[in-house]
Amino acid sequence: MADGMKPSRALLGRLLKVFLPLLLLIILAVLPQAGLSANLMRLLFITAVWTIASLGWNLLGGLAGQVSFGFAVFYGLGAYTTALMINAGRSPYFALLGSAAIAVLASFLIGLPTFRLRGPYFAIATIGVGEATRVIMNNLDFSGGASGYRIIEHGTFQPVAHYYTALGAAALAVGVSSIVAGSKFGLALRAIKQDQDAAAAVGVNPYLCKLWVHAVAAALTGIAGGIYARYAAFIYPGGVFAFQTSISILLMPVIGGIGTVWGAVLGGVIFGIVEEELVVNFPNIHLLLYGSLLILIILFEPDGLVGLLRRVARRFRRRSEDSGSSNPDEVLWGRSRLEGREL
Amino acid sequence: MTAVDYLNLLISALLLAGIYAAMAVGMTVIYGVMKIVNLAHAGFLMLGAYFAYELFNRFHINPVVGAVLALPFFFLFGMGVHWLLVRWLPKSDTPTLSSLLLMFGFWQVLQNVGYLVWGTEAYSILTPLTISSLRMGQISVPKVSLVVFAAAVVSLVLLQVIMNRSWFGRSMRSVIQNPYAAQIVGVDDEKTARLSFALGTAFAGFAGGLLALLYPFTPDFGPPFLLRSFVIIVLGGLESVSGVALGALILALTETFSINVPFPWYSHGWTSYYLPASYQPAVSFVLLVVALLVLPKGIAGLLEKKWRTA
Repeated sequence: MADGMKPSRALLGRLLKVFLPLLLLIILAVLPQAGLSANLMRLLFITAVWTIASLGWNLLGGLAGQVSFGFAVFYGLGAYTTALMINAGRSPYFALLGSAAIAVLASFLIGLPTFRLRGPYFAIATIGVGEATRVIMNNLDFSGGASGYRIIEHGTFQPVAHYYTALGAAALAVGVSSIVAGSKFGLALRAIKQDQDAAAAVGVNPYLCKLWVHAVAAALTGIAGGIYARYAAFIYPGGVFAFQTSISILLMPVIGGIGTVWGAVLGGVIFGIVEEELVVNFPNIHLLLYGSLLILIILFEPDGLVGLLRRVARRFRRRSEDSGSSNPDEVLWGRSRLEGREL
Repeated sequence: MTAVDYLNLLISALLLAGIYAAMAVGMTVIYGVMKIVNLAHAGFLMLGAYFAYELFNRFHINPVVGAVLALPFFFLFGMGVHWLLVRWLPKSDTPTLSSLLLMFGFWQVLQNVGYLVWGTEAYSILTPLTISSLRMGQISVPKVSLVVFAAAVVSLVLLQVIMNRSWFGRSMRSVIQNPYAAQIVGVDDEKTARLSFALGTAFAGFAGGLLALLYPFTPDFGPPFLLRSFVIIVLGGLESVSGVALGALILALTETFSINVPFPWYSHGWTSYYLPASYQPAVSFVLLVVALLVLPKGIAGLLEKKWRTA
């Protein structure tokens, strides 16, 4: 009896991992038909956009362990590409592809030199790249410079279309993240995170792997920026290219649980809701709250909220049955944490 | 551009280098001893500026004196921060992600406390010194820059003396060179780390007070100076005071000359072209990336290597 329990339990777990997200997606897809209030739809839309960027950063920062403070570059370039292409009369969906392409191009331009650096030096270099990009965008004439750029889209404003675009892209981002995390490539990335030299010794090319995962992450972030730009209809370098944007993108996976797909999603959802609700009610303290939250997470629960949930679940399970069996999905879902290890 | 213009530029770059060095040295001390990339440095600079401002505004204390008073105040503050947050970080020979994010979180807290207390309005410290300048023939130097430069240089010399002559300085240098060997010969690394963090914070507060004399400030005062500090310590090789001075000089020269000196440019024939001043921030960031890529051990490291091979 006890032997027969284990495989069925594992199977059940795996089914849950597939069906729960699908169920969530279906619920979210049906919601507008069930009469969703405009405000709630806007909230879900923003949350989805942040989640996409969060998943993107998590691929590079969480899975491969390369902390970047410069993801606003991709977010901003994605936003501007979509804006320019829509104004040039292209379809907005085609424009999103363009955003992804430009972001990938930028990721190579940034990654080719900076991935020769390790750990903190890479992180510092990305701060420089991000700020330099913002300064340049502030001074470019064709995109309106510092005063921003307005997107003129003909036809009526349809929140539902925006909502479905964001939802679809978020589902894509979850799919891509899961595939990468579960693939051999994802395993190589995790090896690089743990010990780059050891990974290189067993045949992983750290430089190439980082470049590729950077490109995938940039594409997702660029799409997020494009979706946001089309919705906002007005963008400016001090917003989309701001250091604050890079920080927001980095904070989400760290809050949720760095290196795990659901951590990044959870972080994005919480960040989106908190950002929207707190900014309205307490414009002064929301960043104070993030800072404090970050400090608490680093000091007490480096695995973020997912780690906290896991700890609670483990305690609960230990009480019900006395087995410390390892979860077969742990490889797929990446048990990784911010130890006192090299960046 | 005449020779006098160049001389004026050179002098202003030199004066700028002084304050840049004072600004970056606190970060170097903390990095050298604890291998922590202190992102909260920007927050300490900002608090230092407001510290000098409040003393000036409420008690009419000369802002230069205020900046000097910031040294002991921020020393204690740094010890408090170390006791509360930093000492819980896992020890490591290389910078860790957790230390980076912890200091970043603390920076956010400081910055937003700053917003709560002082609001978003820009403050500045105006003294009779601010608008007067020293003239020697065609060369004119703002007096406030001279005073700030003098204060910065004196503080750096004092720091160098502490590093070389005191037991604390010796233990600090030994931990920078090799933490394990330092422990073997009896250096208390915990105490050294605490005092170094406090010293780095003290210098950040001091430099913030000096910067407040030169520039207007808001709670968002830190980031450009934080990034410049990065450039300087990367150029200087990350862990020595003299390296910091050298890095500061290079950054100040590059920033000053890149936008004020025309370079030849081809468009419908050769003309000269000025880089727009709004690109100045980008100059330092480009320098940062280039320095990281080309000189991973800083200029001091490069010179050392040349020396060894020669």
